Amino acid sequence: MIRLLYIPVLALYGWLTIVHLLPAWVGERSVARARTVATIAAILHLVALTWLVFEGNTTPGIQEGLSAISLGVMVAYAWVGIGRVRALGMLVSPFALVLLGTALVVPSHGIRALEVTGYSAWLPVHLALVFSGIGGFGLSSIVGVVYLWARDRLKKKRFDGLQRLPSLEVLDRIQFRAMLFGFIFLTLGIGAGGAWATASLHHAWTVDAKVWSVVLIWFWYGLALQVRLVGGRRRRRTALFSILGFGGLLFSLVGVNYLVSGWHGYAS
Amino acid sequence: MVMPAEKTKLVAVGLSHHTAPVEVREKLAMDESMVIDTLTRLRQDGVVDEAMLISTCNRVELYAVPREPNRLQDYLPRGRKLSPYLYWHRGESAVRHLFRVASSLDSLVLGEPQILGQVKDAVRVAERAESLGKVLRPLTQRTMSVAKKVRTETDIGKNRVGIGNAGVDLALQVFGGLRGRRALLVGVGDMGRQVARALLGEGLAELLICNRTLERASELAETTGGTAVPWERLNEYLSRVDIVITATGAQKPFIDKATVAAALRRRRWETLFLVDLSVPRNIDPAVDDLEEAYLFNIDDLVAVVGQGQDARVAAAKVASELVESEAVRFMHSLSKMGMRSQIAELTLNAEQIRVAELQRSSKMMMGLSTEQRDAIDAMTRAIVKKLLHPQIREIGASNLVESSSSSDPRKN
Repeated sequence: MIRLLYIPVLALYGWLTIVHLLPAWVGERSVARARTVATIAAILHLVALTWLVFEGNTTPGIQEGLSAISLGVMVAYAWVGIGRVRALGMLVSPFALVLLGTALVVPSHGIRALEVTGYSAWLPVHLALVFSGIGGFGLSSIVGVVYLWARDRLKKKRFDGLQRLPSLEVLDRIQFRAMLFGFIFLTLGIGAGGAWATASLHHAWTVDAKVWSVVLIWFWYGLALQVRLVGGRRRRRTALFSILGFGGLLFSLVGVNYLVSGWHGYAS
Repeated sequence: MVMPAEKTKLVAVGLSHHTAPVEVREKLAMDESMVIDTLTRLRQDGVVDEAMLISTCNRVELYAVPREPNRLQDYLPRGRKLSPYLYWHRGESAVRHLFRVASSLDSLVLGEPQILGQVKDAVRVAERAESLGKVLRPLTQRTMSVAKKVRTETDIGKNRVGIGNAGVDLALQVFGGLRGRRALLVGVGDMGRQVARALLGEGLAELLICNRTLERASELAETTGGTAVPWERLNEYLSRVDIVITATGAQKPFIDKATVAAALRRRRWETLFLVDLSVPRNIDPAVDDLEEAYLFNIDDLVAVVGQGQDARVAAAKVASELVESEAVRFMHSLSKMGMRSQIAELTLNAEQIRVAELQRSSKMMMGLSTEQRDAIDAMTRAIVKKLLHPQIREIGASNLVESSSSSDPRKN
């Protein structure tokens, strides 16, 4: 019942998807208001998610995770969504819509660790930092896809469709900054998770499969940043790192929990 | 006062690249003082009430509210000799034509932005000659807003045309902006100059010019504000610039993949944008396989130009519809304006007659009470109102009949 709060958010994401995919159909005015709508949708989404986690007696799990990624991507998009960058909404809006839609239909499972530790003040800090990081990585990978597509068109000398996109330079700047943003927040989020475990479990906690997979992904992104900062601005390589990294991150978030049990596993 | 008939009196007569060859057009060039002189003579000779003259290298057009349409042509340079090349528009057709001209829908290069400035100049000159009035002034104001609307609401100006601009468009697609970028022009041919000039217009920080003959590079450097560099140091400069343009008559490539790869490594894979305008090519096509090198040849630029032109033609259709509806709206507002002032004049006339007649009869009404006088006053008002009613209706009905054509006004 409480998930009904998501319905207007879903409707707004749906509208944004239509606006970005069919701009001629909805008209110039609607397109011009896309950023405002994205901001309103993100605020409503944040309210709904916060309400669910703190007031809804819901144990955060896969649904809240997907919802938070969707929110993170939309916040990042609303933040940078100016000028021709708006064209990125063609990918960002459907992505946020599908993630939130999936969050509403997958079976609800709380996180096992919460059953042991109960509520902790570290929980919102850990979740907010980790999912902000994931939102950054999500945006970076989406922009990475657009970058590779635009680059491919230029290399193949097929210029139609390019005018509506930002330049390669701008796309690269967004994908790199979003990745850096994601890396910083994921690092802080992992640290907050460790602090939570240490504070709540009162004994040495074991590292589970989720932690291993996230640390692996953290190294992957670290490597991507290292290659970029030391090896020069090879933009295509950064985009590939970003796309593969986010694929791994999604697998870590959803797949690992189902396959392997651990502190981050879903409660029965 | 604006009369409703003036909507059909508005006349545009002129010639353009559509109707006259360059040999004719080049003999019609008029500077500002000539335009002012012509507009002044048109008014002083009683040929027009209002007039405006647009004179560019591609068109000479006279927009006028004439008293004697037959004589308009005599005031254009070469007068009657121009007859075979002239077109005439009147009423709504003249309005539509001016909207199309200012919106660059009638230009040689569809969507080019200069024409709006030229029309603005024509308006300014007409203001100086005091030849704008109650028809042309609102028309020119509406023309500016329609032209701006066309530019902002359609894609008519988004795709630039010309080889130089095509090079700029591609560079912008890669870099976003060119401010602060450095370019190297290899060769001093016309095509290379075109691209270099267009790039300079976008705010390049520095233009290096390299040629086998250093003197020729120096000559071009002087006129463009660039810096000439010796041919022997070409490879060294490849790593120092963001943009390379080659346009030489060399018979085989002199910039190969290994050279560009080395330059990219030296610049830590900062993007290098290369335009090879030469045939045979100066840059090995394999350079394009390198990760951060983007190489375009003359055919690619021609394709961009063609695509831009196609996009403009498509945008022009949308813009033409916009102009059409704006022309109708303008005629409607002009017509309403004319109708209002005609009715006002009629009413004022009748009221003056009524008041004068009442005053003439005032001695006879001396013995009447105030109530009786008021009753007579009200009665005369009612009589005048009823007498005027059919005439006012007729004015309204006649203004609903729109007229438009693009024929010779002398037939009317």
